[in-house]
Amino acid sequence: MSALATPRDLESTWAPVRGVHELLERRRGRSSGRAYAAIRWAGAAIFAAVFVALLVVLSRDAAAALGHMGLSVVWKGWNPAKGEYGAGVFVVGTLLTTLVALIIAVPIGLGTAALLSELAPRWLASPLTVLVEFLAAIPSIVVGLWGLIVLTPVFAHRVEPFLKGVPGLNVVFHGQPLGASILLAGVVLAVMVLPTVVALSRVAMSGVAEADREAGLALAATRWQVTRKVVIPGARRGIRASVTLAMGRALGEAIAVAMVIGNNTAIPHSLLSPGATLGSAIVNSFSEANPGTLEKSGVVGLVVVLLAISVLVNAGGQVLLRTRKPPIPARGPVEGLAVAIGPVS
Amino acid sequence: MAKGPVVLLTSAVVALAAAACSSSPSSPTGTSASSATTRTHGPEGSLGGSADTSTPAATLTGAGASSAQPFLTRAFYDYNRSNHNVSVNYSPTGSAVGISDIQANSVSFGQSEIPLSASDQAKAIGGAILQVPIDLGGVAISYNVPGAPRNLHLDGNQIAGIYLGSITDWHQIDSSIPLGTNIVAVHRADSSGPGYDLDQYLIDTSPTWVHAIGTTTASKTWPKANIGIGQQLNSGVANYVKQTSGAIGYVEYAYALQNNFTNAALLNESGTYVAPSIASIGAAGAHATNLSASNYNIVDEPGATSYPLVNFSWSLLYQKQTVTDSGIALGRLLDWVASTGQRNATALGYAPLPASVQAMAHTTLLQLEDQTGAALFTS
Repeated sequence: MSALATPRDLESTWAPVRGVHELLERRRGRSSGRAYAAIRWAGAAIFAAVFVALLVVLSRDAAAALGHMGLSVVWKGWNPAKGEYGAGVFVVGTLLTTLVALIIAVPIGLGTAALLSELAPRWLASPLTVLVEFLAAIPSIVVGLWGLIVLTPVFAHRVEPFLKGVPGLNVVFHGQPLGASILLAGVVLAVMVLPTVVALSRVAMSGVAEADREAGLALAATRWQVTRKVVIPGARRGIRASVTLAMGRALGEAIAVAMVIGNNTAIPHSLLSPGATLGSAIVNSFSEANPGTLEKSGVVGLVVVLLAISVLVNAGGQVLLRTRKPPIPARGPVEGLAVAIGPVS
Repeated sequence: MAKGPVVLLTSAVVALAAAACSSSPSSPTGTSASSATTRTHGPEGSLGGSADTSTPAATLTGAGASSAQPFLTRAFYDYNRSNHNVSVNYSPTGSAVGISDIQANSVSFGQSEIPLSASDQAKAIGGAILQVPIDLGGVAISYNVPGAPRNLHLDGNQIAGIYLGSITDWHQIDSSIPLGTNIVAVHRADSSGPGYDLDQYLIDTSPTWVHAIGTTTASKTWPKANIGIGQQLNSGVANYVKQTSGAIGYVEYAYALQNNFTNAALLNESGTYVAPSIASIGAAGAHATNLSASNYNIVDEPGATSYPLVNFSWSLLYQKQTVTDSGIALGRLLDWVASTGQRNATALGYAPLPASVQAMAHTTLLQLEDQTGAALFTS
């Protein structure tokens, strides 16, 4: 081609390329849609198949122990020496530790997320955000070891005796302060799930439209009022997801809990009692239970119960959160805010 | 082992020659086996354990009892130093994993504080399993009570009372400890050899215990996990006892020694209170007669100086070794650990195996075969 190419020259040069491009476009139009659909369906099918296969294999392995125990699996204790493979105590322990963890982690987590997303100046928010996300990456064994080595003595000598001494609190805090307890397990779980709550809710809160915030401010709402009435309701879905994820992690955590909970198979009578969760019982018993024995089957039974509880609690949480009438977004956040803060005087 | 150096040397030569002969038909390379015949000097174990370079190169894997880990890790390291060809990876996963791993033939050897039962044997996919006693250990009842006397005297009923929750104050054990010093009973959260030994001792000595647990068969899983605190592995129990005043727990003696624990003196079968030590563990082990994989229980042996909570740890390996070279290496390694390697035992908190048990380990290892059924070793 000469140095002085006209638009026409260019046209002719590009023609074949355009032809190939059009060919590709046409081909893609026909087959890539189908291929993409196939991939989508295959992906979904694999997910479903893995879940079903998991259920089938686990239920088959657990059948012997469940058949042996019958319905008494609900209230009997766990004592392989006596041939008892009940899950009741572990279910109580699992729900209690998760509850303690969420009671601690959700308010603190949401507060921190609001601080990072709405209230703190940028120079403070940026490094803090990085720090929180870094915390989320700490492996659970590290948190567990820290709980075992650092927190256990502190709880035994300081925190638990103090809680016992607070009038009115001894309904839930009584008994010998041993360090290892349901309470300590809950605290360790709270530390583990806190970054999840903060990171996800912060992202959800940052995602609320700036216009909504400005509208709130225009109605003379304070920053805090905007956060509470506009941002948090607007980020509801993300917050819900963060709590669900945190709950899932707290329900299933095994190693760290086994290190700090005291592994006692009696029904806990106080938050200071040592206890056991499904996860901690599985990690303690699984590797040492001989294959083919009723004990192994019983341990797999605990896995099935843990799976069922995770699914049920998650589903229950979703239903609860969906059916509860959303107070403000029914009329849109800003409109709701105007109602909530009342007439501007 | 009570054999002269001449016997050692000649038996090693014979063993090496036999190994070379039996391995050449099935060995894929044959080079390492033939080089074995040329280097016959310097053996220490009678199967030629420490003969540098004469043993075929092998990387062996073992898994099982954590109670035996301090001793085995040291012994394998020692063996490898004089025998660079052979290295061993040992995972302290617990006795039951040792058993299931060897049943599935996924390790060179499994390690268990309690030998295989006949029904466990039947589940092994690789045929008959040889069981070799490899160390003699004890279980300490350690306590952390500031101001308490050393070697508190405890009998079966008192320990049962502590672990059943009927004795809750140290003052009930010893009147010199002030009233109101609470007892924290610590047990193993995972199943364990030490737990099995203590359960066996309590079954033998305390009717209250038998009545409470409702069985006379000892269990690796702690039967009274609903009382006190449970911790994982020897290290978990040791750590909790160390940091909790008023705590009492059972750990492999090697771990009690490492942590400098105060240990209870237990009432033995002859009616004397004996504290755990290398000497008292060894004294109990010396009473092991007709030791075999089905007659392994040495808890509460007679003898005024015998410590009651002792057991042998067992290595489990297939009689028929499909890879001849690693079979030879494994046989020599274990033979060395059960004889010369015992020199490491005392410093780590184990008693050396009695001569009769070393001999039993040796005869058991002589039964090793290659894939064709020919003996790997002759003496």
